[in-house]
Amino acid sequence: MFKYVVRRVFQMIPVFIGVTLILFILRAPGVLPGDPVRMITGERGMTDALRQQIIEKHGLDQPLHRQYVIYLGNLLQGDLGESYQRGRAVTEIFADKLPNTLRLALAAIVIEGIVGVTAGIISAVRQYSFLDVLVTLSTSILVSVPVFWLGMLFQIFFGIKLKEWTGGAFYLPISQMSSAQFPDWAHMILPAITLASVSTAYVARIMRSQMLEAMGQDYIRTAEAKGLTRRAVTFRHALKNALIPVVTFVGIDFGVMMGGAILTETVFSWPGVGREIFLAVGQRDWPIVMGGVVIIVFLVMIINLLVDLSYALLDPRIRYGGGPE
Amino acid sequence: MSERLRKSIALLLVFGLAFTVLGLAGCGGADEEEPEPGEPVAEGPFEGGTFNFYISEPAFIDPVNLQESEGTQVGQALFDSLVTFDPVSMEVQSAAAETWESNDDATVWTFNLVEGAKFHNGRDVTAEDFKYAWERIANPENESEISYHLSAVKGFDEMQDGSATELEGVVAVDDYTLEVTLNYAFADFEYVVGHPALAPVPAEEVEAGDFGEMPIGNGPFKMSEPWAHDQYIKVEKFDDYYGDAPYIDGVEFKILADQDTAFLEFQAGNVDFVPIPTGQIQSTIDQYGESPDGYTSNPGEQVVLGGELAVYYMLMNNTDEVLSDPLVRQALSLAIDRQAICDTVFEGTRSPATGIVPEGIFGFQDDAWPYSKYDVEAAKAKLVEAGYPDGEGLPTITLQFNSGSGHEDIIQLIQQDFAAIGVEADLAGMEWAQYLDMLSEGTYQMGRLGWIADYPIMDNFLYPLFKSGSADNYALYENSDVDALLEEARVTTDDDERVAAYREIEKMIGEEAAVAPVMFYRHTRVASDRVNDGVYSANGLYDFQRVWLEQ
Repeated sequence: MFKYVVRRVFQMIPVFIGVTLILFILRAPGVLPGDPVRMITGERGMTDALRQQIIEKHGLDQPLHRQYVIYLGNLLQGDLGESYQRGRAVTEIFADKLPNTLRLALAAIVIEGIVGVTAGIISAVRQYSFLDVLVTLSTSILVSVPVFWLGMLFQIFFGIKLKEWTGGAFYLPISQMSSAQFPDWAHMILPAITLASVSTAYVARIMRSQMLEAMGQDYIRTAEAKGLTRRAVTFRHALKNALIPVVTFVGIDFGVMMGGAILTETVFSWPGVGREIFLAVGQRDWPIVMGGVVIIVFLVMIINLLVDLSYALLDPRIRYGGGPE
Repeated sequence: MSERLRKSIALLLVFGLAFTVLGLAGCGGADEEEPEPGEPVAEGPFEGGTFNFYISEPAFIDPVNLQESEGTQVGQALFDSLVTFDPVSMEVQSAAAETWESNDDATVWTFNLVEGAKFHNGRDVTAEDFKYAWERIANPENESEISYHLSAVKGFDEMQDGSATELEGVVAVDDYTLEVTLNYAFADFEYVVGHPALAPVPAEEVEAGDFGEMPIGNGPFKMSEPWAHDQYIKVEKFDDYYGDAPYIDGVEFKILADQDTAFLEFQAGNVDFVPIPTGQIQSTIDQYGESPDGYTSNPGEQVVLGGELAVYYMLMNNTDEVLSDPLVRQALSLAIDRQAICDTVFEGTRSPATGIVPEGIFGFQDDAWPYSKYDVEAAKAKLVEAGYPDGEGLPTITLQFNSGSGHEDIIQLIQQDFAAIGVEADLAGMEWAQYLDMLSEGTYQMGRLGWIADYPIMDNFLYPLFKSGSADNYALYENSDVDALLEEARVTTDDDERVAAYREIEKMIGEEAAVAPVMFYRHTRVASDRVNDGVYSANGLYDFQRVWLEQ
């Protein structure tokens, strides 16, 4: 197990090199249009002195391979450079944003796990019942609803209408905007539900189909024949086996949320990593793009490792050893 | 599963669904909350309260790099420059300088500072602080993107190229006298020094570090705590301010990433001043009432739609094979139905451009450009004159623009307008980065841009946009007569003569249809009903000093 983890950690190195290399190739002249230095002042021209200063400061006058080596060197020391546009250290920018992203993603994953798995189990155990139809129907609707639209609907309903109807007694905050009457976590309710919505639907569907498949297996019949209770059969035998694909999905989804929650972040003005990178790409603010991607890749690899390790807990047949498997 | 559990889950799901349906039904009725026009106007002005002002995340709030609208908004609350502009008339007014004068040819300017004005750290503001602040901007090591404001000052070029460490032309004669010598005569220089970026900064605070996160200024408000990035910037009334004390206790700049969200927060009663999303302008006017002068908001008159000092125009590459012919440019400019663009895309909240200099700038003339109007017959006649009757023989024109910011709608209408006179045009939308490359390299054929004034003077539209070789002259317009007259106007110290000269120049450029102005920007913002005497000026800065809030 320990050897396996060590090996996985070492495997991260080539991934990092690959990812940063691809980004550096994108920066090469002529690959992506757009001069990052020009983007700093936009259509307003810049003085030659400023141009020169920026080029020298960020080492943009060096050949690309040299810039790459310098970047990797700095990366090893935890230095991700400085934003072209805002002159702030990239580590500082992400130190502000990463906790927000993690908090939101975790909350969404919890919602997605609890609600999705519960709904999936219920509809599998009570196949074709009213509840099953309801779950199937509502998941179909959720999957097809655009996230930003759902988000705005929540905002209008829980933030504005509810406040009107209850005379200001009950409503929810509709963005990260600090409002004294709400505790910090309350600002997360709507964005977390919005972010979790589509995935919850997927989890419920995967859970349902996996449960149905598991329930049809021979060992379930054996377990039932042994005289085990329905509850024991469902939870101890069927669920455990049906969970692996769900865990895989949730793990991948968690990784996606690290950088891909752009719409939710925008609608709720949630200062997260995804939107930051998205905007930086448009501005050709490479230090932010590279820094953000490096951080996300790192997190995703950690999450993947944890997911893989969790398989062993769910299925004793899966063992991680140092030797050949 | 027990029957009871099953029932309660079903109930929960049904309840959830009902919530969603209710939400759907609810979103149509945005105008349920009627304003109460009959509400007695409170006596006021009352003191106190915090103004919640929406901005998006600024790039900088330190004067050294104060540039875009968001940062400037914060900066002007924290800092006072030598002069300021009247929020309605845009006339120059005294601020940190009590009086000022120039020599006869406007090359040497003397500013007499208000005595006893203090920085937020309690120290007196002196002429030396202006010199320090300006040199900080001119020093390329500080990467100021707005150093061009000082390009007229003697010694600026030397600081930029590294051959000098101070601005030779800026001298602190004594604590309260600042003398500025320019490289050339510039009669409008008093407007330049009104820019919020040219405010004094205390050297000791800058050197202490973190000035960019919590600037110490000399303005009516001071920072309450460091800038909380992407969340808020809090400023509070500065008790030792030398000028009139504001009514409000402070401003909380609420930073939101998305304008639609900001508008929802406004509707929820959490923000006092926001832009109105396109498509909701008329309904917002119906609900909140329109400000009579377009700038000042009071309860029941909350929507401000006054003109801004900005113009949206179509660029025509003056070095292009086809567009180098002024007749073709005139024809294309005449073909654009500006009113239709203003009405259909902007619900009539922008006005058709009649020239390049917008209303609100002193010297504005409403018939400046003879071809900046919609006249299909005249456009066709111009095409005949140019040798392309009904567009025959005229190669397809490519309309380039940065997509994704709503420009598509405008450019498509222009494409149809061109088709109406027989001119075929292709659309080429692209990313801003790529578009900017094309503009800078002059490889575009026809494009779009907006121009927002730094200072409320005609020069600020004519000189940068049309002087040969100017970095902002993306149309690549060249006219040596215009160049000479522009230089001459700058040195004309008599105000009336100078404005007359600029008017003449504007007409000359318009005669050649160097570009095709499309529309003048207007405010589209709304204030909450607790805001009284709130003025959002033509240059996009909010007057936090006069506004007061209903308690």
